Amino acid sequence: MTDLASAEPPQPERAAASIVARGFQRYDGERSGVAGAIRSVAWQSIRATLGIGRAGRNKIFPVMSVAISYVPAIVFIGIAVLIPSGIVDGPTYAEYYGFITAAIVLFAALVAPEVLVSDRRNGMLALYLSTPLHRGTYLASKVLAVGATLGLVTLGPPVLVLLGYTFDGSGPDGLGNWLVVLVRIVVSGVAISAALTSISMAASCLTDRRAFAAIGVVLLVLASPILASALVDGAELSVNWRLLDVFSMPFELVFRIFGEPGNFPEVSTTAVLAVNIAWTAGGLAVVAWRYSRFVISR
Amino acid sequence: MTPIIQTQGLVMQFPGTLALDRLDLTIPAGVTGLVGANGAGKTTLISLALGLLKPTTGTIRVLELDPGAQGPQLRAQIGYGPERNLLPDDLRAYDFVRHLAEVKGLPRDEARTRASDSLYLVGLGEERFRALGTMSTGQRQRVKLAQAIAADPRFIVLDEPTDGLDPVQRDEMLNIIVQINRNFGIDVMLSSHVLEEVERICDNVVALDEGRLVAQGSMIELAGASGGIELELVDVADRPHAIDEVIGSLVASGATVERTGFVLAVGGRPDDELFDIAGAAVAAAGARLRRLGQRRRTLDDLFTGESGSAASIDPPTSAALIDGNPS
Repeated sequence: MTDLASAEPPQPERAAASIVARGFQRYDGERSGVAGAIRSVAWQSIRATLGIGRAGRNKIFPVMSVAISYVPAIVFIGIAVLIPSGIVDGPTYAEYYGFITAAIVLFAALVAPEVLVSDRRNGMLALYLSTPLHRGTYLASKVLAVGATLGLVTLGPPVLVLLGYTFDGSGPDGLGNWLVVLVRIVVSGVAISAALTSISMAASCLTDRRAFAAIGVVLLVLASPILASALVDGAELSVNWRLLDVFSMPFELVFRIFGEPGNFPEVSTTAVLAVNIAWTAGGLAVVAWRYSRFVISR
Repeated sequence: MTPIIQTQGLVMQFPGTLALDRLDLTIPAGVTGLVGANGAGKTTLISLALGLLKPTTGTIRVLELDPGAQGPQLRAQIGYGPERNLLPDDLRAYDFVRHLAEVKGLPRDEARTRASDSLYLVGLGEERFRALGTMSTGQRQRVKLAQAIAADPRFIVLDEPTDGLDPVQRDEMLNIIVQINRNFGIDVMLSSHVLEEVERICDNVVALDEGRLVAQGSMIELAGASGGIELELVDVADRPHAIDEVIGSLVASGATVERTGFVLAVGGRPDDELFDIAGAAVAAAGARLRRLGQRRRTLDDLFTGESGSAASIDPPTSAALIDGNPS
């Protein structure tokens, strides 16, 4: 008797893929709520700032700014690897920021205007505020975006230096010391990012022109050391007038985080910490005040 | 059925401008047209419904939620297409719609799929990877509609969705809006200053004028049969006075007649009697009839009716017509 089953022609092997015929349909699945909205807006802002998914010309400045901040790190690692220890001493982790201060400030002047001003100019602000976001959560997403983007240049390069020195054998001794340095780098990067995020966002919320906001940030940061120097060195006022120096104080705080005297040892660490907190809080207060007054009606 | 929007004594006062004046309205499910001239208060009402503004006094509830206190929860259920044609020019339509779907809470994969589905639904499937800055006004209006529906809202608010469109594009846009409501059960409120398009697709109407409620109700009630009949006659060369004779017969029968060119609006007696009287008058005068039917009121009558006042229109059976002066 013939086995009918075995008589069937062999079936072609079926692919795992399937065709899903769908069109617009209702959705009743999970929704991520406000936290998801904040995350999504922050990520989109970071992408826009770095030119991801945008035309090539939008990538030039962010790529250059980020690259510039990493160049000294690569150079110092190269020196450590190529030149025997003791002949050329590289900078300390705190001193490293001195080589990239200008790049960080310029990057901050680019990022915040792109993140904040663009939404007001291209209608996205009204659209965002018609989603689960309100003004406070919208601004939280923007702070997250600016801070995270600045982290690329405030955290990345010193971490790269630490890793380079470590692999070269000239890094901190022992895991404990290594972790202490890492934590100090992270705290330093966050502190610089926080201060510059706040200041650059404050400048960006006062104008609808990205260029004006960027110039405002640069002028504020460059003018303040001149003013502080004039008051302390010229007018011989109290050394605490140095605290007006927006350009230097975030980086001065980094020295103190690493236990180093810094460029202005006459100013107490408490005062340096306090003024950084004040600049950060003050900038955010300006942003919150400004956005509370915007009439967004369409 | 639960109203979509309900307001009580809603007042919105801007410095020097009373944008909304003691608005009491109820918007049921379906497609609702928010009509009024520029400055009537349409956009202010939309902004209040979305929680973008806080009312000076009064209350507003949307989907049974308070936009002020429960804004995030409410806005997760609403899609919004703004009037302004400003969009981020360097973003692709697909990325724009996907991003806003994610912001409204959809998981990334679902947002991707639904962005494509929405753009196909509005007729931009093949154009979805084009940058917004390269799109025409009509295409950008469609993108705004696509982003409003992508996250599958219960209710969408469209502010002047046909603004800047040519007649063909306008027809297509209106058809899509109706399709969204009929096929997917998404309630729609669209603001417009073009009454004809609201008449064409809306189930309900809210009419505003200088911040005050002029009328609200179903389209059938507000712009349906108005009482009376309308007949259109043909100009006949060998009977030059035929139309005058028809008018004379009608008036002699106790009817009121209003002539506009070759069209006669006839009232003053029950409709069935008017049909008989008009037929007899036309036959007696030897006139030629092009059209005879029940007279219909248009939304235009709400604003520019016989005496230029909404209150001049005969009150329909259940729709609420509100006097322009709520004293």
